[in-house]
Amino acid sequence: MIQTVDLCKSFGNLVIFKNINITVQKGECVAVIGPSGTGKSVLFRTIAMLEKPDSGQVFINGTDITRKDININKVREKLGMVYQGFHLFSHLNVIDNITLAPIKVSIMKKQEAQKKAMELLSMVGLTEKASAFPHQLSGGQQQRVAIARSLAMDPDIILFDEPTSALDPSMTGEVLAIIRKLARSGLTMMISTHEMSFAQDVANRVLYIDEKGVYEQGTAHEIFQNPQREKTRMFIRKLKVFSYSITSRGFDMVAMNVQIELFCQKYNIDSRKINHIQLVLEELILEVSGEAEGKQQLKIDFTIEHSEEKGEILITFCYEGEFQNPFEHEEEGDNLGMVLITGVAKNFSHKYEDGRNTININI
Amino acid sequence: MEFLESIVNSFNSNLILNNGWLVVLKGLWVTILITAFGLLFGTITGAILCFLRLSATGLLRIVAKTVIAFLRGSPVLLLLMVFYYVVFANSRIDAVYIAVIAFSLNSGAHIAEIMRSALSAVDKKQLEAARMLGFTKYRAFMAITLPQAGRIARPVYQNATINLLQWTSVVGYVTITDLTRTVNNIGARTGDPFFALFFGILIYLGISYLVNFLFTLKIRNREAL
Ligand SMILES: Nc1ncnc2c1ncn2[C@@H]1O[C@H](COP(=O)(O)OP(=O)(O)OP(=O)(O)O)[C@@H](O)[C@H]1O
Ligand SMILES: [Mg+2]
Repeated sequence: MIQTVDLCKSFGNLVIFKNINITVQKGECVAVIGPSGTGKSVLFRTIAMLEKPDSGQVFINGTDITRKDININKVREKLGMVYQGFHLFSHLNVIDNITLAPIKVSIMKKQEAQKKAMELLSMVGLTEKASAFPHQLSGGQQQRVAIARSLAMDPDIILFDEPTSALDPSMTGEVLAIIRKLARSGLTMMISTHEMSFAQDVANRVLYIDEKGVYEQGTAHEIFQNPQREKTRMFIRKLKVFSYSITSRGFDMVAMNVQIELFCQKYNIDSRKINHIQLVLEELILEVSGEAEGKQQLKIDFTIEHSEEKGEILITFCYEGEFQNPFEHEEEGDNLGMVLITGVAKNFSHKYEDGRNTININI
Repeated sequence: MEFLESIVNSFNSNLILNNGWLVVLKGLWVTILITAFGLLFGTITGAILCFLRLSATGLLRIVAKTVIAFLRGSPVLLLLMVFYYVVFANSRIDAVYIAVIAFSLNSGAHIAEIMRSALSAVDKKQLEAARMLGFTKYRAFMAITLPQAGRIARPVYQNATINLLQWTSVVGYVTITDLTRTVNNIGARTGDPFFALFFGILIYLGISYLVNFLFTLKIRNREAL
């Protein structure tokens, strides 16, 4: 069990958080979300006493570990941490990474430790990598080894600090699957993550951190589908909506397409549909920037939103300038791009207001 | 043929006559002694200076920084002469010991910097990961940071050793008869400096190779562990 009581932390004049009171019951999995730089990592590090709190207490399994007479090393044997950057011991191979602490800290026999390490490796699906070195593994594999390393000490609690943020989307799945397994097995854990569907799946509760504290908390459904407070709403909307601005004709379309693809992959949108989305946007951008050529500064903003209920993609495409509706073209058949768009879109509309064209397309 | 003959002649006059090779061996011994102890005490001095340089106390850091800068900035020969002609001028300490002190200090300053940069190149988060597994600060350092820093430092440390070996050739200035001084003396005596000096260079080369070989041995051992 983890409990913090009026926990405060600042660096010099910079207050990171004030009076944080969190309780994580035994066997509970709590997800922590919040914008970058709001102190999620610092909170985790303070709970592990890697940072000294300014005031307040941290209770681990009922013991106040901020007390001076506490042997923090003993506490940490049962309190694991998994980092965003893995941080495997780079001079040791996989099996030695896992057995080092059991052998040196809990004084386990080498053979016994290795047997246990192999069991853990098979749990994370990496038995054949036992003698590989960290630099020979992919990010996802390194993170799985890091989880096994942490589990080797039989911890009661593990803190996962953005365990998948440094990974390719193609590798987050393998790591999340293991964390999911651990959550089901009743390990107590806190995990900071931006993977909404994952948090919805495993987290008993979600804490939104902002304004130097726990700004809002609730079940995953409450926080992600129906956030109550202003900042939470904005944050969740940003997570769900992809937005992009174009201000010059020389913008990097390849980079844009990559970002669109990454966003869509988070929602398991199939690659055919992703292609359609990219096609529609490319054609719209070409159309609008072509028409506006030389007339004025280009200014395009668009958002892509995934509606889970309907299984649809909503694209909102705005551009400034004169009235210009690409769907109403005089010369018929001339405009292949628009034909393509109307072909893949379920419905589409255009409106013009205050010098701003807005196109809505559902795919 | 003539060339070969002249070499054989030089060899005889320089090394065989008057037991020249024994003298060379004695000089070599002195060189090795100064290098080996210079390296040993230099490493100890380096570790201490590095420890102070990284300490949490500001004053100690400044002191260590100043000492390192001073020692690295002053030519080792001048340092040696200061010790010989000034500091230990009136003592009866053998010049070889004085040389060991001077070279220990000089190489210690270099080694302190080698250690410091190697330590700072190690991923600190790995140390923290070890702490999170229950390691004490000291044991985490010994198990994680030190072996990794050792690997990073090894090639530079090896260079420092060879540098030290070559710089010991100046100890003749304070009356020590080391390898360089010996071959110089022999060359002057036989009037054939080319052969004697060149032979000296070959011996230095040989020791350098030996040093490099010893370093690779150490690595193999470690990999076998
Ligand atoms: N050791 C430190 N000294 C000074 N400031 C620090 C230190 N560690 C973190 N900070 C500051 O604390 C703030 C919170 O950082 P933190 O890494 O906890 O954010 P985060 O919520 O984890 O963000 P992200 O989602 O990017 O990981 C940042 O402004 C950071 O600059
Ligand atoms: Mg963070």
